Amino acid sequence: METADLSHHISRRFNEDLESVRARVLAMGGFVEDQLQKAVTALVEANSVLGQEVVVGDRKVNDMEVAIDEECSRILATRSPAAGDLRVIVAIIKTITDLERIGDEADKIGAIAARLAGMERPADKYREVKHLGRQVEQMLHDALDAFARMDAKAALRVAREDRTVDEEYDAIQRQCITFMMEDPRQIRRALDVMWVVRALERIGDHAKNLCEYVIYMVHGKDVRHTHIDDIEREISARGS
Amino acid sequence: MNSAWFYVIARVALTLGLAALGGWIFGGIGWWLAAVGGGYLAYHLINLYRLNRWLRNRALVEPPNVGGIWGEVIAQIVRLDRRKRFHKRRFIRVFRELRRSAAAMPDGVIMLTAAREIQWFNRTARRLLELKPKLDIGLRIDNLIRVPEFLRYLEEGKFESSVVVPVHAEGGTMLSLQIVPYGEGGQFLFARDVTRQAQVEAMRRDFVANASHELRTPLTVIMGYLDTLAEDPGLDDAWQAPLAEMRRQAERMNSILGDLLELSRLEAAGSTAGDEPVDVGGLLSLLRKEALAAAARPREIVLKLESDAQLRGTASELESAFANLIQNAVRYTPDNGRIEIRWWIDAAGGHVAVSDNGIGIAPEHLPRITERFYRVDPGRSRATGGSGLGLSIVRHALQRHGAELQIVSEEGKGSTFTCQFPPERVLAKPQRAAG
Repeated sequence: METADLSHHISRRFNEDLESVRARVLAMGGFVEDQLQKAVTALVEANSVLGQEVVVGDRKVNDMEVAIDEECSRILATRSPAAGDLRVIVAIIKTITDLERIGDEADKIGAIAARLAGMERPADKYREVKHLGRQVEQMLHDALDAFARMDAKAALRVAREDRTVDEEYDAIQRQCITFMMEDPRQIRRALDVMWVVRALERIGDHAKNLCEYVIYMVHGKDVRHTHIDDIEREISARGS
Repeated sequence: MNSAWFYVIARVALTLGLAALGGWIFGGIGWWLAAVGGGYLAYHLINLYRLNRWLRNRALVEPPNVGGIWGEVIAQIVRLDRRKRFHKRRFIRVFRELRRSAAAMPDGVIMLTAAREIQWFNRTARRLLELKPKLDIGLRIDNLIRVPEFLRYLEEGKFESSVVVPVHAEGGTMLSLQIVPYGEGGQFLFARDVTRQAQVEAMRRDFVANASHELRTPLTVIMGYLDTLAEDPGLDDAWQAPLAEMRRQAERMNSILGDLLELSRLEAAGSTAGDEPVDVGGLLSLLRKEALAAAARPREIVLKLESDAQLRGTASELESAFANLIQNAVRYTPDNGRIEIRWWIDAAGGHVAVSDNGIGIAPEHLPRITERFYRVDPGRSRATGGSGLGLSIVRHALQRHGAELQIVSEEGKGSTFTCQFPPERVLAKPQRAAG
């Protein structure tokens, strides 16, 4: 497998097996994106049926993870890929784990949404949560796009956004605590909202992981646990 | 045979002749012939070398100036080259025209290979789908558009219809996507922005749902008071009949509102039903019992369960669909008539049929009968009840399960309504419901 150029994207021709597994990962990604979108909508629109759909749909996410994992094991065993191809398989195995976790978090959000649907909506109609939710959805979407395009530069850009997500998460947490202190009757719902935003923040972290795997796939550099600015320096040094 | 070869032959003959003459005059004809032959060979080898060198650098150097047969060959090659360049230019021109016209189309167009890789896309497609020029060439389209509904559409391959998918963008853009196969395995993907239409649809649905909801409240109040009045012992007898009629009509209004809400819900719910196992046999038995308990009903209501297979879907919607079909059968069959409810599976999938020997439907009504509020005989339907929405509800519920409604009817003889479920919705082994 060649690295055609050291620009921020790599054009390559995978063999059919790899290409087919990549497609399956992206299909799983698309389904998880859909789950997340439904979960946030269910909360904001007080739609308990939609929330339930997300909970039931999580089974499919788990099934997909198992199936793709098996396929990867098969490829490793029968084809003994090397170098770049091996990086791709390893990255895929990690990616589906993170996708499955995102699915779990979306499941949690859906369950809470179904429960909260019966209660009265708060004054701001979950506006802050909706905003955070859409932000995280965009992060996940961009991360998967970067995976599809093998675009390390885009992956880097998306990874940076996690900082914004974390900041918003902190802000909403503070807000919820304020509500709880002001009116003890709000405690139940405020706690639920805090669970939801925690789940969203976790999804943001998983999306950042996806970006790190893309960078690993493209540049062969393990950038987990590395500060984002150092990652950029590394990649720039390689002539991207 | 053209003149060049004539000269070649003439020259060879002349040279050999001279060599022979020299040999005859000076002796050692063999040496003479060998020398001449060698010289001739050298001449051709040199020209062959020049030809080869020129062929390799055709674009950069002029062809060697050689006469005779070599000149002929070179001239032919030059002619071939020129023709090829001409055809190439023409092809490029036609191709550019094609791309320009595709670029001018208001719809997004993407050209795909048989493996669904992007070969080319126009500006509208780039805008609608946020594609990156150059970067995305060669990528599979289903890696970039990952929406489950689109992936299902690609898998099912029913490309006569399009699919509407939400694309990822703030503002909820909805795109209508359609695959059009062409040539040998190539495919076009057409994308159109239908956000406005989707919004208008959503507004209409919300309006109907809200209006129905709003109407229900005052209606409930009215029905409440009518009930109270009817039970009042001091009520004048003359009022009993009118009161009963008012209650009936209020009931009817309530049922119409209920059906409108159900229809709105089905339309808003999206394109596919759920995945839970539905016990068809049990459901049909229950509905049959309810039908038997009705006030006015045909004498015979028979249930034929020819399979214990189940269906995969949403129980409440299937119940709604079957209930509506059975209620219609009860309504339009005389008291001495017969209704048969049948459930069976075969290679084509699962089938639920409701047959009656009632009044039947004339052929001219069949194409329109599932339209909302369509009445075959307005007078009769209003008297026997019914909202006019029943078959619309059936059709929508079936659509969400990938199923079709088949109607066979003869006026005066009876009708058979069959719900045909595709094999992928049939669960051959009965499964316990989850949870």
